[in-house]
Amino acid sequence: MTDLSTLYDAILSGDHKTARSLAQTALDENTDPKSIVDKYMIPAMDEAGRRFEANVFYVPELLIAARAMKAAMELIRPKLLENHVEPAGRVVVGTVQGDLHDIGKNLVASMLEGGGFEVIDLGVDVSPEQYVAAATEHGANLIALSALLTTTMPGMRAVVDLVKQSPAAGDLKVMIGGAPITQTYADEIGADGFSDNASGAVNEARRLVGVTAA
Amino acid sequence: MPKSGDDAAPPAGGQPEDKVACAAPEWRRRKLHLVSCEIFFREMCLALSRTPNQVDAAFLPKGLHDIAPEKMLEHVQAAVDAIKFENYEAVIIGYALCNNGLAGLTAREIPLVMPRAHDCITLFLGSRERYQDYFFKNPGVYFKTTGWIERNRVDDGELQQLSIPNQQGMNQTYEEMVEKYGADNAEFLYTQLYDHTRNYSKYTYIEMGLEQDANYKAQTHDEAKERGWEFENVEGDISMIQRLVDGQWASDEFLVVPPGHRLTPTGDETIVRTEKAP
Repeated sequence: MTDLSTLYDAILSGDHKTARSLAQTALDENTDPKSIVDKYMIPAMDEAGRRFEANVFYVPELLIAARAMKAAMELIRPKLLENHVEPAGRVVVGTVQGDLHDIGKNLVASMLEGGGFEVIDLGVDVSPEQYVAAATEHGANLIALSALLTTTMPGMRAVVDLVKQSPAAGDLKVMIGGAPITQTYADEIGADGFSDNASGAVNEARRLVGVTAA
Repeated sequence: MPKSGDDAAPPAGGQPEDKVACAAPEWRRRKLHLVSCEIFFREMCLALSRTPNQVDAAFLPKGLHDIAPEKMLEHVQAAVDAIKFENYEAVIIGYALCNNGLAGLTAREIPLVMPRAHDCITLFLGSRERYQDYFFKNPGVYFKTTGWIERNRVDDGELQQLSIPNQQGMNQTYEEMVEKYGADNAEFLYTQLYDHTRNYSKYTYIEMGLEQDANYKAQTHDEAKERGWEFENVEGDISMIQRLVDGQWASDEFLVVPPGHRLTPTGDETIVRTEKAP
């Protein structure tokens, strides 16, 4: 059996080719896909998040770690589906209407994926209707909104209001983040969650969907 | 004799006493101090030359926009606090909320006057309604003005050090990234972090009418062509900047922050409000 701690290391160092080939080897050896994710991949991304918060990792290190995790996940996800393994939660992610900034959004999307969530990424300039329609279609438990500009921030309130008005949305939660966003603003518009960084966003998403960290 | 004191002085001597006394309020020059971003340098200078008020001015570097909002606030607050307040009626602010870089700006002894605007484009276009309308119709637009062409650089070492891209490890050259992360990851990171054409698709030059030639417009047009972006030239409107320096501070357009108060973002269309400073 392959020592999968090398998968953990490959993700943390952003080596996507090695991460992918190790995932393939592990699957070939009939390793349980869920245990690969839970024991090596999620812990690697959690560690990347911790290093980011401690200023050991910066945005580039986090981005390449997430890229390596995704490379492995592409092979593992079909096996998880075959085994009917449910993700930690389903999250619709996007930057709000009028705003085209996506570095932060992409980082959060990758971190959520690395945290065991299924991510539906709607890209940038997303209207309130698009968020809610995608959440309904995919049976998401959470919408994560990003904005970089104070000009586009009011679009967040529009999404929160639309979710509250949509019977189809059910228990759908909304979390927000981005450079100008604060907890005060989140409280004011009635958002369920807030994080001021990509790694914290994973913990916040876990809190909102009621799962504990791996 | 005319009344003594600058405030009541007529623009030229020789008028009869009663007429001067009568005209005094009209002739009163307000003494104001402007603290402005250098992005407005040409527009402010034009407005200052035409205002009936007597305005001193301090311009701060554009590079303050690239540092963390709380650091930007420190610099702008320091410039406000350096003003000898006993010489002025109010401090007028040549900034917008600037992604919360002005949030918390405090009026100490004299009022501060702040445009209700998210960013400088409102002041170049003359109203926030016009900006809002243009912005949402053209989400991929990048604006250019004389200031954004001449002064969009950071040549202050300290500000460069503090800049957010620098602090987040997003200031590396392609070669540095290859060295650190390998060629394949470097290419990926370069697209993720530096490829501006990824989401923007249009340059709009705002023509303020103070340009001495067509070079600014032409330069913006050429840059658009180079990137394969659309180009549009729109007419600017200096009137909101003029109203700021003239003291025409209608409450829907400007916020007057009284002494002992600070400005704070509202998160809605009013953009900023005052609250008691702690």
